[in-house]
Amino acid sequence: MRKIWAVMRREFIEKVRTKWFIIGTVLGPVLMLGMVALPILMADRTTNRVVGVLDATTEGFGDRFVGMLQQTGSVKPERIAVDVPDLEDRAVELARRVGPGFDGFIILTDAVTDDGHAEYRGRNVSSFSDMQTISVVLRNAVFSERLRREGVDPQIVGRARISVDLDTKKVQKGEVTEESGEASFFLAYAMWLMLYIAILLYGIQVMGSVVEEKTSRVVEVLVSSLKPFELLAGKIVGVGAVGILQMGIWAGFGKLMIDKRELLANMLGQGEAGQALAGIPLPEISFTTIVVFLTYFILGYFLYASMFAAVAAMVNSEQEARQAQTPVVMLLVVPTVLMIGILNNPDGAMAVTLSLIPFTSPIAMPVRWAAAPVGTDQLAGSIAILGTTLVGITWLAGRIYRVGILMYGKKPGVRELVRWLKG
Amino acid sequence: MSSSPVIDVEGVTKRFAGHTAVRSLSLSVPSGSIYGLLGPNGAGKSTTLRMIMGIILPDEGRIALFGGRGDGKVLSARIGYLPEERGLYKKMKVLEILMFLAEIRGVSRRVAKTKGTMWLEKLGLGDWVDKKVDDLSKGMQQKVQFIATVLHDPELVVLDEPFAGLDPVNSQVMKDTVVELARGGTTVLFSTHIMEHAEKLCDAVCIIARGKKVLDGGMAEVKREHGGQHLIVAIERGDASTDRILADPSIVSRSNSFGNYAELELVDDADPQTLLHALVQAGARVSRFEVAEPTLQQIFIDKVGAEAATAQASEVAHA
Repeated sequence: MRKIWAVMRREFIEKVRTKWFIIGTVLGPVLMLGMVALPILMADRTTNRVVGVLDATTEGFGDRFVGMLQQTGSVKPERIAVDVPDLEDRAVELARRVGPGFDGFIILTDAVTDDGHAEYRGRNVSSFSDMQTISVVLRNAVFSERLRREGVDPQIVGRARISVDLDTKKVQKGEVTEESGEASFFLAYAMWLMLYIAILLYGIQVMGSVVEEKTSRVVEVLVSSLKPFELLAGKIVGVGAVGILQMGIWAGFGKLMIDKRELLANMLGQGEAGQALAGIPLPEISFTTIVVFLTYFILGYFLYASMFAAVAAMVNSEQEARQAQTPVVMLLVVPTVLMIGILNNPDGAMAVTLSLIPFTSPIAMPVRWAAAPVGTDQLAGSIAILGTTLVGITWLAGRIYRVGILMYGKKPGVRELVRWLKG
Repeated sequence: MSSSPVIDVEGVTKRFAGHTAVRSLSLSVPSGSIYGLLGPNGAGKSTTLRMIMGIILPDEGRIALFGGRGDGKVLSARIGYLPEERGLYKKMKVLEILMFLAEIRGVSRRVAKTKGTMWLEKLGLGDWVDKKVDDLSKGMQQKVQFIATVLHDPELVVLDEPFAGLDPVNSQVMKDTVVELARGGTTVLFSTHIMEHAEKLCDAVCIIARGKKVLDGGMAEVKREHGGQHLIVAIERGDASTDRILADPSIVSRSNSFGNYAELELVDDADPQTLLHALVQAGARVSRFEVAEPTLQQIFIDKVGAEAATAQASEVAHA
């Protein structure tokens, strides 16, 4: 036990001291901050969008549309009145004006209210938010215009246009939680990202560490004093501890950022956006959720780390390891590829199956757990299957590792591997 | 110095895919001795040492350490092992790696730190304590590895080719340290293919070739039993008759004659005096007549064969 501790300690300290760890730990929060700050800063630019309205309508529709567009605050409309015969010429002329300070123009004729077709020409056509704003405003304007033509009272039109929001609340164990649907989705997504990255990242760290010991031949000295199992166990636990420390730092920073998001937005000079952010529903992370997450992280990490260690023991260099790791990485990618399917239907056959198969369950089950309530029986079953597989895989990996770390030269074939397992 | 063996190898065989690396090998290393395991490259020296350390298991036979059960791993607190393929963690600092390697052999970090510093000073690496292994030269790294081997004060030290890759100065430092360890009661088992090292250091040797034992025993005993009788003869004005006597197959089994000077190996049971008598009778004036002790090198070549000897000569040139 003391030997395992020594191996673990060395692994932990050496890993924490690497540039990789320091950069990764700092870079994580910077990326998080960037992900939050960038859209806010970007949002700032859209208020300066200048959009022309080439107005060939006859009944004042263009004026009303410009007024509505002005109200959104994100686009600055500029009305250019034109008669229908001159329309094309003016459009060609305006197209030449498109550039900085004039982002594009929308062409409005009476036909818009009749057949619902309008055209936008501009350099920002790929900007999702700009097009969203313009088309939503246009849709509303056309809707009101059509009713107005039919003689409906503008006040009634106004009331008819009050939008409908569907608030979603998750029901768990027969009780309505404060968690909204969006929040659940967000949580599930975050779980997936964290688990996938963490298991892959730290699994590969274990692999690298085994390859290093093998290529530098340190392993010869180590196995003269340690059982291969002691070495492997110490290594996996040591790297895992690094992982938990790093994720802890990230999680702590993430929580700080969410708690202080208003302050953060103010610092970025976006007071309004800050208030808006404060209103965004955030997932309630219960203690059970944290336990589920950690359980699956630990089991999943052990499972994959032992497979990565076995792969590393079979090869002679980093390059070889990078090739040989592919099958293991593929296993981990499966739930990622099928993520959308799991999220769309967390109780579907696919989601349930993936959350029971031991190689996919470490990611699939926590994602399901976050997205929708999961029965205790399924959770227990999933953990039991994963645990049993883990024991089996560690045994196999341990055998391969034991022989492999002392073998140099050709990579073993299947027959050779079988001999190792028997030996 | 007690005579009970520290290592007892009995009828050990190890096969690898396609070939037998070690074939029914038996040897025993007396407590407190410096024991040399000698043989040309590929003879099975490293395999034997690795089996003794319990890194690989023999297919047949039995290995007992300290007269009991348990392999090198279990007894690692009492044994220091310097493998042939030497490696260190490149990114670690010198003292820290020493502390780690001592720790997995059961030494506390505090004790390891004190002793490690002491040893580094002793072997001239005092300024390198906090340097990374990567910054050290190969020879320095080898010294660090040697320190790691002996840091936990083992009763038995197993060194696989400890002198390989060392310059003459460091080679001497290593020899002195090994002798010092042995004086302190540590049993030393080391392998080498360079006979000079063994000749000066060993109390007992075992020569193996192609996985099989050729001979073993105490140094004096080996020389007496296997060395044969070597004669160095110098005469004034040698002629045909003296040449004939120096080549007499009933006495001389091998000769290297230069007319006036000859190195001879006598046949078993031959009496050097017979030869001297014959020379005097033939009227030769004998200026030197010396019964010489054979060198380990000569025994090695005699027993292992010229083929191995040439291979060895090129090795030495490399080293």
